[in-house]
Amino acid sequence: MLTMITGGSGSGKSAYAEDRILAYGEGNRVYIATMEPFGEEGAKRIQRHRKLRAGKGFSTVERYTDLAGLAVPAGSYVLLECMSNLVANEMFRPDGAGEGLLEEILLGVEKLCAQAAQVCIVTNDIFSECLGYEGETVRYQESLGAVNQTLARRADEVVEVVYGIPVILKERREGGG
Amino acid sequence: MELIVGGAYQGKLSYAKALHPEVTWLDGKVCTWEELLLGAGVYDFQAFIRREMQEGTLPEDLAKRLLLENPKLVVVSCEVGCGVVPVDAFDREYREKVGRICTELAAGSRRVHRVICGIGTVLKEEPCCG
Repeated sequence: MLTMITGGSGSGKSAYAEDRILAYGEGNRVYIATMEPFGEEGAKRIQRHRKLRAGKGFSTVERYTDLAGLAVPAGSYVLLECMSNLVANEMFRPDGAGEGLLEEILLGVEKLCAQAAQVCIVTNDIFSECLGYEGETVRYQESLGAVNQTLARRADEVVEVVYGIPVILKERREGGG
Repeated sequence: MELIVGGAYQGKLSYAKALHPEVTWLDGKVCTWEELLLGAGVYDFQAFIRREMQEGTLPEDLAKRLLLENPKLVVVSCEVGCGVVPVDAFDREYREKVGRICTELAAGSRRVHRVICGIGTVLKEEPCCG
């Protein structure tokens, strides 16, 4: 099952995502970290996330691009964080997929879903302000928006986290309806 | 009136088109006030507000007039009010105006939707009076 979790910065979506993975019970828990540790601020942010995950039995895999090339244990519970970083990496890194990032990321997610029993993907809501961004920033917003919409269509469940409170946007219907 | 809001690049227009396949959509980036008063639907409504402000022709009672003179209009507008307060004074006023106008439209709307990641949620729906 694929679950997508969105929300603003500091909304508690990471903690919620971890809880979702823990709720699946005992199993092989894999955390795919997509954020490159740039500078002190990045290191601090990663430290905070590590602390949050400590003792929850996750093995951490750092993956900045090429999700499709990643193997995870069969039947594992996978948490990928964060789609906004993965899109930025695929867009701006020399080894990224560039123009083909949407297809590349979707392929990666499909491959994860084929290997893992449960996949949770955390993404970010960066679309509701009025600053007239230009050039690359707008292209980035457009790309992440397209990835989010496509993943939401594919996902069994989509949840927006608002200050730690989950708002269910899409739910799996029993009986496959 | 029906209002569809949400952040940029969330698939608001596709959602609106699926909801109202019969509508010919006006583009708020280029349409005129006259077209808006006669049209069935408009997207990028926030861009219409911005242009009218830039030209100094934004009617003070825009929301009221739309609700009164074209009550069947479907409005698709971008949420622009959730970021940091803009440094530029015009941007601040624009951001505030979009919020105030859409709030007024929402109050007068039969249905209000919010679209996130292509998924629409109905925030308000008034019972149909036949």
